[in-house]
Amino acid sequence: MRKILLLAVSLLIYASSVAQNRLLSGTVTDKVANEPLVGVTVVLKGSQTAAITDGEGKFTLGVPKTGGTLIFSYVGYETQFIDFADQATVNVSLDNTQQILKEVVVVGYGTQIKTQVTGSISAIQGEEIARVPVTSVEQALQGKAAGVFIEANNGKVGSAIKVRVRGSSSISASNEPLYVVDGIPINTTAVNDEVNLSINPLNDIDFNNIESVSILKDASASAIYGSRGANGVVLITTKRGKEGKSKVTIDYQQGWSKPTRLREFMNTEQYVGFFEEAAVNGGKYDFANGISGYDTEQEAIDDYLEDVHDQFDQNSGWADWRTNEVSTDWQSLAFQKATSRDVNASVSGGTEKLQYFISGGYSQQDGILINNSMNRGSIQINLDSKVSDKFDLGVSMQMSRSLNNDVPNDNYFESPMQIVAQSPLTPPRDTAGVLYDYPVNVYFNPLLEAEYTQSNNYTFRTIGNIYANFHILPTLTLRGEAGGDFTNLTSDRYSGSRSNYGQSVGGYGEAYSARVENYDTKLLLTYRNSFNEVHNFEITGGIEYEPYSQFYQKVDGQGFPNDDLKTLASAAQIVYGTSYLTQYRFMSYFGRANYNIKEKYLFSITGRIDGSSRFGKDKRYGFFPSASAGWILSEEDFLNGIPVISFLKIRASAGVIGNAEIGDFDYIGKYSAASYNGTSALYPATIENPDLHWERTAQIDFGIDFGFFGDRLNGELDYYIKNTSDLLLDVPIPATTGLLLQTQNNGKMKNNGVELVVNADILVSDFKWTASVNFGANKNEVVALAPGQDLIDNGGSDVLNVVKVGEPLGVFYGAEYAGVDPENGDALWYVNDSEGSTATTNDFNLANFVVLGDPNPDFIAGLTNSFSYKGITLDVSTQSVYGNQINLNGDHWMEANGAVYDNQTTHILEAWQNPGDITDVPQGRLGFDNGDQVRSSRYIDDGSYLRVKSITLGYDFSSRLIKKAKLTNLRVYVSAYNMFTVTNYRGWDPEVSSDYVGPDDVNVIAGNDFYSAPQPKTIVFGVTIGL
Amino acid sequence: MKNSPLPKNTEMSEHKSTIFNRLPARNKIASAASIFVALLFFNACTDTLDLKPAQDLTNANALSSDESVKQVLIGAYDQLSADGLFGGNLMRNSELYAGEGEIVFVGTFVSPREIFNRQILVTNFDVEEFWEDAFNCINICNNVLSGLAVVNEADREQVEGEAKCLRGWMYFELARFFGQQYEPGQANNQLAVPIVLSPTIVVDESSTPSRNTVEECYTQAINDLTEAENLLPESNDVYADKMIAAAVLARIYLQKGDYENARDAADRVIASGNYSLIAAYKDEFNQEENTNEDIFAIQISEQDGENSMNEFFATASNGGRRDILIEEAHIALYPTGDAREALFYTNQGDYISGKWKNQYANIPIIRLGEMYLLRAESNQRLGTAVGAAPLDDYNMIRSRAGLDAAASVTLDDILYERRLELAHEGFKYHDVKRLHGVVGTMPYNDDKMIYPVPQREIEVNKNLVQNPGY
Repeated sequence: MRKILLLAVSLLIYASSVAQNRLLSGTVTDKVANEPLVGVTVVLKGSQTAAITDGEGKFTLGVPKTGGTLIFSYVGYETQFIDFADQATVNVSLDNTQQILKEVVVVGYGTQIKTQVTGSISAIQGEEIARVPVTSVEQALQGKAAGVFIEANNGKVGSAIKVRVRGSSSISASNEPLYVVDGIPINTTAVNDEVNLSINPLNDIDFNNIESVSILKDASASAIYGSRGANGVVLITTKRGKEGKSKVTIDYQQGWSKPTRLREFMNTEQYVGFFEEAAVNGGKYDFANGISGYDTEQEAIDDYLEDVHDQFDQNSGWADWRTNEVSTDWQSLAFQKATSRDVNASVSGGTEKLQYFISGGYSQQDGILINNSMNRGSIQINLDSKVSDKFDLGVSMQMSRSLNNDVPNDNYFESPMQIVAQSPLTPPRDTAGVLYDYPVNVYFNPLLEAEYTQSNNYTFRTIGNIYANFHILPTLTLRGEAGGDFTNLTSDRYSGSRSNYGQSVGGYGEAYSARVENYDTKLLLTYRNSFNEVHNFEITGGIEYEPYSQFYQKVDGQGFPNDDLKTLASAAQIVYGTSYLTQYRFMSYFGRANYNIKEKYLFSITGRIDGSSRFGKDKRYGFFPSASAGWILSEEDFLNGIPVISFLKIRASAGVIGNAEIGDFDYIGKYSAASYNGTSALYPATIENPDLHWERTAQIDFGIDFGFFGDRLNGELDYYIKNTSDLLLDVPIPATTGLLLQTQNNGKMKNNGVELVVNADILVSDFKWTASVNFGANKNEVVALAPGQDLIDNGGSDVLNVVKVGEPLGVFYGAEYAGVDPENGDALWYVNDSEGSTATTNDFNLANFVVLGDPNPDFIAGLTNSFSYKGITLDVSTQSVYGNQINLNGDHWMEANGAVYDNQTTHILEAWQNPGDITDVPQGRLGFDNGDQVRSSRYIDDGSYLRVKSITLGYDFSSRLIKKAKLTNLRVYVSAYNMFTVTNYRGWDPEVSSDYVGPDDVNVIAGNDFYSAPQPKTIVFGVTIGL
Repeated sequence: MKNSPLPKNTEMSEHKSTIFNRLPARNKIASAASIFVALLFFNACTDTLDLKPAQDLTNANALSSDESVKQVLIGAYDQLSADGLFGGNLMRNSELYAGEGEIVFVGTFVSPREIFNRQILVTNFDVEEFWEDAFNCINICNNVLSGLAVVNEADREQVEGEAKCLRGWMYFELARFFGQQYEPGQANNQLAVPIVLSPTIVVDESSTPSRNTVEECYTQAINDLTEAENLLPESNDVYADKMIAAAVLARIYLQKGDYENARDAADRVIASGNYSLIAAYKDEFNQEENTNEDIFAIQISEQDGENSMNEFFATASNGGRRDILIEEAHIALYPTGDAREALFYTNQGDYISGKWKNQYANIPIIRLGEMYLLRAESNQRLGTAVGAAPLDDYNMIRSRAGLDAAASVTLDDILYERRLELAHEGFKYHDVKRLHGVVGTMPYNDDKMIYPVPQREIEVNKNLVQNPGY
């Protein structure tokens, strides 16, 4: 194909210094495709004589009669050295299967040839994640990198995503990795007013423009980011122009989504039957326990039945529940028909002096939930200019505007998914078509929220960076960079006259704006040299300064004349106003030295000194070193005789990295401002801790990189241990001090695990099949907390997650459910006393709390299979999570055995009824807690799943056809995302971690399903056109 | 950066300049750009890691002046208005705890339902919140008391009095929820809560106190409030004054069965003449300004404060959750023509308390009506007529409710009147306890009739002992 596309060029260069006695010619072909290679450089070793192969792959070269060595080199192919004597032709086939290992990967403050890397890095090409129908890059990375756990909270579009690289290393400080886009560490903390929920700041990045993503996982790779690298570093590099003809690419795709899974709730007939039964039982229980003091049991039953019938009358509106006139499927009303669109156009190319990449994109996605959508328009401009041999400079700039229409978090009555609590007896609307509300509805009707509120969050974001390289000497380069990440977010929310919040005040309006300025400037000096082709050095030193500030302001008003007038100009009264400023600064000095001997023995050391405003004067600076070494065994003679092994490297690294992702002023003892009766007030907010300092994670990593059968089978195996000490821990202190927490350096955490990546080219003929699998198993353990402290339990009666010494972070801790007493239908719990008895009790308070489950997976894995035949390609990616538990704390309502009037799942129809019944559902008792206590294992379920994440079937039109249409590329495809999920999970979707937990608790409070929307299942059709 | 072992900026700058001096002329652009970048960097590299929070004061500054100590005192009132205290949940939970048969909790929150069912878990959120909020308030008061030296001499007594008034009041509230009823004439060694009288500066061994007895907590409360009454001025806007301290003292003495002191304290409040009954009963409630009847009320406005009583009692259109309904059995208690019955309203066939139907209204905590009933009860029990005869006080309350004056009165009549007059204002549970009543079939001194010590506290303070039955 190259023959057709490239203009044939043949060049002969004769150098006067070498005596030429004869001509030698030959053909160069691709070893696998067996096609001629055009443009291969052929050099006579030890001379200036060179040739380039022509359109047929042929070359001719003047050579000495005595013979010599020819060097064949071609980008992406293995260079070959061929000795010749007196033959007239030399035919060579070059091999490009080693390309993967020859790749250059992006590392911290630079790039490195992948074979020479001694750290652990997952590199993902932009092509693998482009056009995935999600809103942010890390979601698209799900299942692509070994040991990187990525989880969406729920199926709301644009909300926060949790990412854990090699497990959680901290309890109270952030566990999210550092994201660096084109050299700029970007802000990933939500800046919206979290009335509803956190909006993910990574939504602003159009990931169709990404060239590559490198995830730095071990200390050797990430210690150059010092105090900010402990949770891993995600380096995002956008596409840049290359010298040559302009390339224009246009992508368009359109998709449709619906929920992955639904649950089954009672219909009217089932609901009436169950609650009447529960009322009778409630009355009996009341009488038997003398709760209300009824004179006879019948009196109690009659009273309870009357109550339940009154409730039915109230809830059924115009309908007659006695005849099952209405049976509303409320669950279906939480969802909408969701469509998505994504268009991206880019042009790239350039001359020797100037290269450009310019791209524009627009993406629009409806959430599957009512009233939930997002869109984003963006521009990317990357320019590189070579001013002179000594000087080049460039710019990376991306600008975007996003609009996020968010919905309330899972914990609100008005959250769409809470609609399932509504009684099936209730028609959504009255006979005039007006929506009903509480108390006709059991609770506030979330449909009102969709109809009467709007929440518009506009984000304007610019991430930009200019750089200049000054090549002082061929071996010495000075690089300067200055850039920033700027966010401007404005929100206008209006809760109308029938919304949950607005109805008592005649409409409630909120105006909010936030400004985040995040600057980054750095200077880097790099020295690169090679002595005798044996000793190869690269030494980099740098300084970096990062000031960050975040400011927001907010005004609320209420009392609007009409729901059409939504801005505060129409508010009768301004009821709230605030502004807030916080900031931090980092000042850093860092260096790295890479040294190798004969590209075979590899060594690297890095060090970084970070200063942060987040610590007191004496504890401000921290030093974070790392060292690593690698040995490419396949370069050794003793392995040359084993043809199966094409590449083999062993490597090891050790280092210390830090974490300073805590509050900006936690070390200071502070009084905060408040007010009472319109008078300003102060109150003690924190206790001083001048000793507060960096949390440190020491990590060691052992790895093997391998390639067999000419690298057709290649991969990496890593084992690591991460020990975090001096945890930045919000230590609970007795409330009798007047305060609840103090941030201290206390405690230890450990993670260890194994990661494996295997890539295989299984079939390489016309029908191609490649497979790639990644696997990561991580074991997390809280080793120690503050002295004398064994447990942090802030869950109260709502949440089971705790921090417990000897257990993984966030284990579920509560009473162990022992099923149902067959005699009387009482819920039972194991007493679990210290003697280890198996006794049970129906008194929840007598059940000792024990560890009930772990929200952290035992392992995560991804598998991608790609097939191609002629122009047809099929890619299938699966992702799996195994061994974690999920607490369905929403089931405390959905499976409450009639304690409340919430609609129940059909599982509750299996409730105990008669002595001798064997069931796991306790007797239904109206108004009484019988087994619906939150802190029990009753609602914990296995969260393991295997999901076919994506299936893409594509067709590339043949080059002949394309040429006629004056195109360079034409591809059509159809993709299906989240199509199949294999799981035993009984809730909606096992990829879940409810969004109502505050950002402070997100490390610990994991794996909860509280009315959390399932993930979307999406089908998209798309076309890619190259001009 | 002065103390850091790092290279000084100036040295590095000089190093760089020598390189630029050697540049050939054609690289002027290069050098200019490099210098620009370098300047950007070095300009920032000053001693800038010292940042101060924009919203907070440091500890050292907060208690350093007359003005700031007084602001911390306002902070104590702000804390007093927290959800877990007089913001409403303290009173709401009193109503729920002993509400069986007269009100019903239909809401979704787990913790209030546990309290209503008297099946409280040791992890109950409301119990924990109350403990935390009350001790937070106590700590703020202790901070104020530790900063008295810098307060202007003219105001020092008042500031001290206010802090002690709030602190003593908190110990009283804590003691009667976490400890069994105070029984007069016997040793009250049952445990209540730890007594902490100094501000928290550091976290150390003193931060894990043991529980004191009910007797000790009552003594502390009475001492604080007696001092406060002596120190405080006659009136003090909406803040603590002499009368408020006396009114709280009256409550404490009544709760512990010391009727003489209760009577006298209530009489001091009434006799002050600072207050008067509002003519129409309904006008005492849902008011955005303090009424003449209010002795102490939590200040709420559209801009500041949250009225948690309203949140739980009111319907959605009145800004509430409609979680607490009034049973017909309670409505039936009112005699015909009682203005207090007329205050209830119905919503979808259920009765709702009309005392809480404006989310921006102040929350009356102590009002004159209570003082009349308190004096009447004490006089009746003692056979005295200090201030007024019990019948007169009793009729004062009845006639305001639109009822005919009675010719004679018994103790039961007064207690019955109290039940109607003060319904759904937070008195229910405490009255059941001091009158040795039952809730459902559960006696007032059942193990389950007091709160458990929050599990969270047990875990962080090994010196705390859990209440029996939990």
